[in-house]
Amino acid sequence: MQSCPNCWHCGEPLPAGGVIHARVAGTARPMCCHGCKAAAEWIEQLGLADYYALRTAPAQRAAAEAGSASHDAWAGADNARHVIRDLGNGQRESLLLVDGVRCTACVWLIERSLGVMPGVVSVQVNAVAQRARVVWRDSQTTLPLLLQALARTGYRALPLDARGLDDLRRRESRDALKRLLVAGFGAMQAMMYATAFYLGAADALDAPTRDLLRWLGLLVATPVVFYSARPFFAGARRSLAARRVGMDVPVAMAIAAVYSMSLIEAVRGSGEVYFDSVSMFVFFLLAGRYLEMRARHRARDLTDALARLTPPFADRKGEDGIQRVGIHELRVGDVVRVAEGGIVPADGVLLSERCRVDESLLSGESAPQSRCRDDSLIAGSVLEDGPVLLRVRRVGADTALAGIAALVGRAHAGRPRLQVAGELAAGRFVARVLALTALTAGAWAIVDPSRAFPAAVAVLVISCPCAFALAVPAALTRALGALARRGVLVVKPDAIQALADCTHVLFDKTGTLTEPTLSLRDVQTFGSNTDALRLAATLARQSRHPVARAIAAADAGIPGAAMCDVATHAGLGVSATIDGRALRLGRGDFAVAHQPLAREYDDAVLLADDVGPIAAFRVSERLRADAGTAIDALRAQGVTALIASGDATNKVAGIAARLNISTWRARALPADKLAWVAELRAGGARVLAVGDGVNDAPVLAGADVSIALAEGAELTQASSDIVLTGGRLEAIAYARDIARQTLAIVRQNQRWALIYNLSAVPLAALGFVPPWLAALGMSLSSLGVILNALRIGRGVPPRETPHPSPPATTAPSEAVA
Amino acid sequence: MNILLLLIPLSLLFLAGAVWVFFWAVNHDQFDDLETPGLLPLDDLDRRERPPQ
Repeated sequence: MQSCPNCWHCGEPLPAGGVIHARVAGTARPMCCHGCKAAAEWIEQLGLADYYALRTAPAQRAAAEAGSASHDAWAGADNARHVIRDLGNGQRESLLLVDGVRCTACVWLIERSLGVMPGVVSVQVNAVAQRARVVWRDSQTTLPLLLQALARTGYRALPLDARGLDDLRRRESRDALKRLLVAGFGAMQAMMYATAFYLGAADALDAPTRDLLRWLGLLVATPVVFYSARPFFAGARRSLAARRVGMDVPVAMAIAAVYSMSLIEAVRGSGEVYFDSVSMFVFFLLAGRYLEMRARHRARDLTDALARLTPPFADRKGEDGIQRVGIHELRVGDVVRVAEGGIVPADGVLLSERCRVDESLLSGESAPQSRCRDDSLIAGSVLEDGPVLLRVRRVGADTALAGIAALVGRAHAGRPRLQVAGELAAGRFVARVLALTALTAGAWAIVDPSRAFPAAVAVLVISCPCAFALAVPAALTRALGALARRGVLVVKPDAIQALADCTHVLFDKTGTLTEPTLSLRDVQTFGSNTDALRLAATLARQSRHPVARAIAAADAGIPGAAMCDVATHAGLGVSATIDGRALRLGRGDFAVAHQPLAREYDDAVLLADDVGPIAAFRVSERLRADAGTAIDALRAQGVTALIASGDATNKVAGIAARLNISTWRARALPADKLAWVAELRAGGARVLAVGDGVNDAPVLAGADVSIALAEGAELTQASSDIVLTGGRLEAIAYARDIARQTLAIVRQNQRWALIYNLSAVPLAALGFVPPWLAALGMSLSSLGVILNALRIGRGVPPRETPHPSPPATTAPSEAVA
Repeated sequence: MNILLLLIPLSLLFLAGAVWVFFWAVNHDQFDDLETPGLLPLDDLDRRERPPQ
């Protein structure tokens, strides 16, 4: 049992040396880090160790600094007002976004661990949306305490705007459900009353009964038309106001025409009524829209969760050093520090010498902009190199929220090209349908006026472009949902098309093919420098590169060191002046630029000052457990895998050999990688870039489609099309399968809609199709499109990772040391 | 056919009742989260004492 090479809590492989243990349910279990150990012991202490028996997926790796200062920032009145709702009589309510809810047992654990806290009134966890609704008594506990309790159990939580999105969306889905049900019941009843006529029993009925049945049809169809069908009328009005012909226009016209014609017949007491047709028409349309809405909400829950986890905090510089505060606490005139890859928290003026920012969220300009001292920076832009200081000039919830909202909004605002093309086609189609309807009515008016109306209605109803218009969104939303469930979050829906077409996959090495966390293996000092590690750790804190983080984690650094001229050089290293010493940390040819180094330092990180090298650091890295299978799966699909890394040649060669990758480039700067991508694309390849670190941002932006691993720096997430959570590379091949399937189904749907319309419309125009049959045919064609879309993700084998479930199910050889 | 005069109002009454019950359920959170309640039976597995805080 103890030979299990994975952490009992999070399932990640154990570090090579110095395994720690925690006692859970009386047995010592191996833990990968102190964060997991603390979480496991806390869960045990709460008496909730059953969690480990209940869960079906390993927990998320717990952060080491549980209960950090960031929770206290929520105590400020300004922040609290935003995220806490006062329920009266001393009770408060908050909606928390909980990161790391992976399986059903998490729900159980969260409800239990918060439930035992004094003052907590109720906890409701929605596992799918990753949200927890907590009600507590203000006198007994506070929001920071709740967040801290969650953090101790190993979940990161972020309070959401209490009034925001969710209520709106809840209302949308409730309304849709009610309308659907009213239409369903109405259609059912109207059909019952109409059956008498269709069965030919009408002749056997006496006139008063026939009239009664007509009026009853009117009674049940009226709420369907005036309540359930309202979205169609509203949509038609909107698109007409915008001078476009949307798909709602013919739908609304058909409903209005059939209903009012039937109403006239009912009042006159003669002729046919079509209350059943109109109710059924509305019901099936609403059913299609409801399915689509649910898939959309589901996909959005997950992408939202990701975007919102961008911490709404800023590092404010005060008299007593740098302090982490909530964005809403910033005041005009504050000085704020922004780290490399961080998001500028408020509009302000740059105090540092120069920096580059990515303002693509705000301006759409994708190339990073250079800014010098006294230039202004805009909230929401992403810092490419740093850290920098800026003086806040504009604050307020507006600016700060605008930055976050931009991130969330961007994921959904852009409509995929595929969908735009589909809508354009549908628009042209609608115009033709309307023309054809007018033509049919005109022709029949000459030949046989009594049949003009039914024939025109049949054409209008049968060719309703629903199948056309639904073909793309139904497939896309289903694909997004299927992918999100596998931890693949599609930020830009265009990526699905590009992903299906890609021929080459370019992997970054550090943090992508290998585990994101490295550990410091050895330190070799030159001469008698005892504080080399402390200096290096202090410097390394300025960068988010995985190697820098490994060094930073090894030592606390020098607290309050007088550091100036800090600069990070993408792909090379960090430089700064500490206590008057100009220091450089990074690649050998960067740190010790003026003198050649022995080849043995090729793969080391060097610390040097102006005199010469001070120390060499070596970090060890571990291949991700599923890297091999992921690449084999991609290869099986006919995709070429490549590696581009900024790392030393021998390290890259080793990894490439282990993964059977024949084409790789080492010592590649971001510009080199980008050039390689351009070269591949010029050769006709479609490139998928997979990356993690800050260094990858330009490569990710330059490729046809990009995937970032969610642990990566915020910057990478901001510039990638797809985000992979949980670091499971295998999901890439799965995602590509899904993408291909999606495109195939979209094409199938469009072809099917075309064939259906081509065959049915002529029959309807010639008067062979009664309106009720037209409604049925139209509904079935739309339903067929939706059901076809629902096949996405079903036929594709899930390629489940033999996930390291705690007892030794994983072969030790899989965790490559 | 006179039975229709009884059965039809009756069916309409049932219909109105069903719509009312459904609206009530929708308005009282019954359809907001269709997944998580499936996990509630897990509660039965909790046989332990709640520890002191």
